[in-house]
Amino acid sequence: MLSSEKRSLVRFLVIYLASTLLLFSLASWIFYSSTKHHLLDKQRDTIMYEAERIKSKLRGLHQSNDAVLYYPSHSKIDSAIYDLDKKYIFGTFKPSVKLDTILSKDTLYYLSKVEPYYLGAAYLLTARKIDYTPIYALQKQILFFLLLAGIVFSALGYFLGRLFVAPMRDAIARMNLFIQDTTHELNTPISTILTNIEMIETFGKHVENMDELKRIEIASMTLSRIYDDLTYLNLNHHYHRKIENLNMGDLLKERMVYFTSMLEVKKIDTVLDIQDDIILNIDKNDALRLIDNLLSNAIKYNKRYGTLNVTLDKSMLCIADTGIGMSKNDLSEVKQRFKRANKSEGGFGIGLHIVSQVCENYDFDLQIESTINEGTEVKIVW
Amino acid sequence: MVKSVWFVMAVTISIFAQDADLQRDCLSCHQTQQIPNSLIYKRYLMKYSTETAIENAMIKYLQNPKKSESIMPSAFFLKFPMKEALQVPEPVLRQNIRSFIDTFDVKKKLKIKVH
Repeated sequence: MLSSEKRSLVRFLVIYLASTLLLFSLASWIFYSSTKHHLLDKQRDTIMYEAERIKSKLRGLHQSNDAVLYYPSHSKIDSAIYDLDKKYIFGTFKPSVKLDTILSKDTLYYLSKVEPYYLGAAYLLTARKIDYTPIYALQKQILFFLLLAGIVFSALGYFLGRLFVAPMRDAIARMNLFIQDTTHELNTPISTILTNIEMIETFGKHVENMDELKRIEIASMTLSRIYDDLTYLNLNHHYHRKIENLNMGDLLKERMVYFTSMLEVKKIDTVLDIQDDIILNIDKNDALRLIDNLLSNAIKYNKRYGTLNVTLDKSMLCIADTGIGMSKNDLSEVKQRFKRANKSEGGFGIGLHIVSQVCENYDFDLQIESTINEGTEVKIVW
Repeated sequence: MVKSVWFVMAVTISIFAQDADLQRDCLSCHQTQQIPNSLIYKRYLMKYSTETAIENAMIKYLQNPKKSESIMPSAFFLKFPMKEALQVPEPVLRQNIRSFIDTFDVKKKLKIKVH
């Protein structure tokens, strides 16, 4: 993993996990407060119920003539009765503070009025220690949930992060590949030119040097095409097109002459069926890129002693070779930028991408048919 | 030591003297007329709650007996005549009322059953 990719992933994870944690903490706190309140309310209900029971018992005691009156008691709930002046009368406990100020963190209190004043009691105070067992259980549950959510969302965040940085990773990989290809593509013709010039300098200028000069010519043409393709790719959306009535037959014949040297080197036989006066409304540079890339591919991927069929009529341009061909999978992706079906030959994988873009701009239909080891036929129907 | 003995004796005599006054001024008559003292006290307790309020309510009624001041329901006076106002000095009356409350105080009977 690249350091920039790692940095992006870490930043994303930090932001994602922090916001998720914040959201979950807030939700958990609201849930905890609400449930705790509910649990305390349930405990408060027990002392309210006990208060009603004691009031009922007080009535019985008030009416009793027994010598001893047993005050109602409860194992978990304490109670005490007070007169109208809030003076303590009796109870199972006696709070040390005044009735009005009674408040405790660990005890629940419930003060209710008694009417009529049985045994003189005007107020009944009931109290119980808060049972923290269900609250602790709730805290454990929430912590467990947060931990589980943390693990799940960390894994999810990592997965999402990898997913988000994937395009960046692909772009960087494509860029690296492009740089490698560019250096290689430039290196081959430049080396050819330099070597052949050196040979001419060493052996002098003779008729036998014609091969060296041809190789220099081909290498220069290759360099020129690389430059043209890269410029086209870079300026595609920015340069002003001059749409004109262009004679495609003349242009195609001209380009065939241009590629003669390359054809001769590979001993490729050409079968031309080019109709004259095929006029298209097209920018000349677009037409050049279209023809040059198709011819260049057909030569580059053709077999030695293969055949190149070029057909031009009023409805289409068809260029077919007898080369290495492509699989169906490669055919579906070959129009993508930097996609190369075969890496044995040089190239950036931009040729068919440029052809595809030109076709798209002019609403041409680009059809490619290929069979491995038999050849490829590219048809542009307008 | 001698002082303590004298103090205990004085308090005891005082209490007995108070009880004797209550018996003479109030309860003797109540017993003759079969007035249920305990029930009367409980009615006062149920209505007034505090000893001070009970004492004041009793004073008010005993000094000037009226249906509106009585603790008994108005139907009670259809059967029994209204009692006459007591011609007893107020301090003595208060003393007797306190003794009455102390004697019939049900709160003293309250206990907690040990399980």
